[in-house]
Amino acid sequence: MDATTVLAALDGNIATVGYGLAAIGPAIGVGIVVGKTIEGVARQPELAGRLQVLMWIGIAFTEALAFIGIATYFIFV
Amino acid sequence: MTAASPERADRTPTSNPVLGRALRWGGLIAGIIAVVGGVLGYVFAGTEGLVSALVGTLMAVVFMGITGASILLANRFADSDVFVGIFFGIVLGGWLLKFILFIVLVVVLRDADWLNPTVLFLSIVAGVIASLVVDVLVVARSRMPYASDVELPKAPTDD
Repeated sequence: MDATTVLAALDGNIATVGYGLAAIGPAIGVGIVVGKTIEGVARQPELAGRLQVLMWIGIAFTEALAFIGIATYFIFV
Repeated sequence: MTAASPERADRTPTSNPVLGRALRWGGLIAGIIAVVGGVLGYVFAGTEGLVSALVGTLMAVVFMGITGASILLANRFADSDVFVGIFFGIVLGGWLLKFILFIVLVVVLRDADWLNPTVLFLSIVAGVIASLVVDVLVVARSRMPYASDVELPKAPTDD
């Protein structure tokens, strides 16, 4: 069996790849947001309260993409 | 002469009121969206549409609210020596659990015949966007002092 046949034998829904992609971006984004917050709090612990709020807003926007991306499972057949 | 050990100040971060306010407003707006979405869903897709709109809005508001709620929960451990570890453990652990739960729910609800997938999707999107708008408005209107968590040394007393 040559390689082309093996590749052609793969089956499933290509949209599944999209759900995976929808999770990668926000995961990286949340990682950056949280990492930078740790840096900020380490530099200025007295700003922890403000930085937490900014971190929360950042996480909310980043994860919104993931939610909508994964929820497309409902409309993409 | 040894000075009495200073009283430990309350180290709860000042973000709590903002997050609490955002959660309350988020719940309120979600209620409005559930009503509007439920009516629209009922008009366009009957009872299935009504149920789908309610489920979708509930999913959106719960999953968007978990971040703020987990920060509020984590801040209860502010006096702990390992607060930073506990904080990020709870917040990021909550995030991970939330996504696993969301994917499981999506898979389970996908084939439910008592739901209308399109209405469900649209109400999730509406709920997510409304939640973001509420978050931004609450933060923009909040007044947090700079250097709010600083601990000032106690003033000397004459005795």
